[in-house]
Amino acid sequence: MVFVFCFTVKHSILATRCSVRGKVLSNIFQYRTGSSRVTNNVTDNLTDWETLSKKKKISKAMKAYLERAKEHDEFMKKQHFEFNVGKRHLANMMGEDPETFTQKDIDRAIEYLFPSGIYDPAARPLMRSPEEVYPARKAAEFDEAGRPHHFLFYTGKASFFKVLYDAAENIQELQKFEDKVIRKKASPDPNNSLKLEGSVWFTKEQLEKTLVETIEDIEYTNFKNVMERLVSLPYSYRCKDFIEQFRKPLTTQRFALEIPKPNYDEDGRAFITTYECLRKKARGDVTIKSPGTGNISINGKDITYFEDIQSREQVIFPLIFTGMQDRVDVVCNIEGGGPSGQAGAIRWGIAWSLRSFVEKDMLEKMQVAGLLTRDHRRRERKKPGQPGARKKPTWKKR
Amino acid sequence: MNSGNWFLIKSLCDLSFRQCRGWRIPPRRLYANATSFPDYFKNPIFRKEQQGKLIESGELSKLAAVPVKPPATYETCSVYHDPLVNKVINHVMEMGKKQLARSLVEKSFENIKRTQIERYHLAPTPEEKNKIELNPKIILHKAVENCKPLLQLSPIKRGGITYQVPGPITEKRSLFLAIKWLLDATNDKDRTVHFPEQFAWELLDAANNTGKVVKRKQDLHRQCEANRAYAHYRWQ
Repeated sequence: MVFVFCFTVKHSILATRCSVRGKVLSNIFQYRTGSSRVTNNVTDNLTDWETLSKKKKISKAMKAYLERAKEHDEFMKKQHFEFNVGKRHLANMMGEDPETFTQKDIDRAIEYLFPSGIYDPAARPLMRSPEEVYPARKAAEFDEAGRPHHFLFYTGKASFFKVLYDAAENIQELQKFEDKVIRKKASPDPNNSLKLEGSVWFTKEQLEKTLVETIEDIEYTNFKNVMERLVSLPYSYRCKDFIEQFRKPLTTQRFALEIPKPNYDEDGRAFITTYECLRKKARGDVTIKSPGTGNISINGKDITYFEDIQSREQVIFPLIFTGMQDRVDVVCNIEGGGPSGQAGAIRWGIAWSLRSFVEKDMLEKMQVAGLLTRDHRRRERKKPGQPGARKKPTWKKR
Repeated sequence: MNSGNWFLIKSLCDLSFRQCRGWRIPPRRLYANATSFPDYFKNPIFRKEQQGKLIESGELSKLAAVPVKPPATYETCSVYHDPLVNKVINHVMEMGKKQLARSLVEKSFENIKRTQIERYHLAPTPEEKNKIELNPKIILHKAVENCKPLLQLSPIKRGGITYQVPGPITEKRSLFLAIKWLLDATNDKDRTVHFPEQFAWELLDAANNTGKVVKRKQDLHRQCEANRAYAHYRWQ
């Protein structure tokens, strides 16, 4: 019997795409535990029922699973072969060495050969290894008699409900612990509290990917509620590992890293130039010179380059925020866009350059004020069939 | 997806791409950027006094670890920036002409200032002079505060008859109504009178708790009082 299983163990991927969505079916081959290990367990502790089923040797479910596994294995092998051939061709076409042709090179080559203006990223041409293209599948998690290993198998979504189960168990344990501490008349240690500001919960898609199960919207909401409840407990730091499994770190503090050292010009003045200051359709560069007297020069003019007051206010916003309005000079070149976009680009450029001239706590203040965030929003396109990006024609019954 | 994509690539092979060693992708803007920030971006806190509060409570460094939206184009940390004034400017604005709207509001502030200074100099005693408010922004705040209704009438249909049922009003709606009424009263003027003058008068009247707008508010309150017998229709 063991030889039957040894080839299934190596699959973590299984079955064709179309059969994935069927709920009941998918559960049958959605399990991950190595089947060969389980075989031993079964022969060790035999109950009457199992002796009976042992005569039957192998269940229909297992047989079906094995068939699918084999099919999938062959399919993936073929895909791998095709992918490698394609990669070699691509490398030869681009005049590169096929042996050292990486995925990055493939992406660049595809973008070069098939320039695509298609709006939806999912519809653009791509060439990836089959593992990435075909979603990961679980291996069988039932033994040869067809009995599931997981105690939540019949919920249909074993891993998902296991997470909820664990969370609930953790909540109970923490509450017990809290009672114990209260009985001892102690209070929670403030230094130990859980810090979750720098991360967010997994999105539904990420959670599905980690659990290798499809979940409903309401189930995702339940998941979030349970986890929020767990986090809200005073001793939640004791379950830190469990909680952090399901959190994704946000982008790190880019403003604090890699602050450039200022250069010095012939007058001995420190200066920093920020290129690529973008906002809407405007783009330009900003140079900050220190020490200075608060001169601002925009495309050779002073701040009256902007006719409206609002744009002028925007330009001096970071300067008055940091209190540097009299201590530095600003020189900008800006083009494209309108006054609001240009002012926004200059505002970001000044704030970004000022990082080299301010203290660390001021950096934090600037971050909280949002001055260091690049405003990457662009005008949303107009959609056909409606007057604007979102605006719809007036609804008429007939 | 397409590991079979290479068929297409293969057909391109004849185009002698083989020769181009230093191939690079031409720079271009392919796809539109997002038009809004994701919801985990926090709103910026840029006013000095608000940041001072954060520093006191020690939350600033915590917040600094979180992505923050950039302040909008009309927001600054300047002491001259006032959210209510900005709101009024936006209500005055028509067809997106913000510069014009701003100049109109500023002109009416100027008119308020002139009137008040004149009154100040005409006032005989120092006590009376002290009573006169010279800051137009404070006058605007007072005027809006005086115009805010506390109740509203909402039409509710019961048994084929529409009743005007009094009920509480949200803070936001009452602010909206106050500004709207002020502007309605201002626009109800002779053609020879300009907007800034009329708006200044309305603001001064309302700040003084007199005038058309305050009367309109009191009328509404009176009608709510008269219709209190219908109040139970809100929940029945």
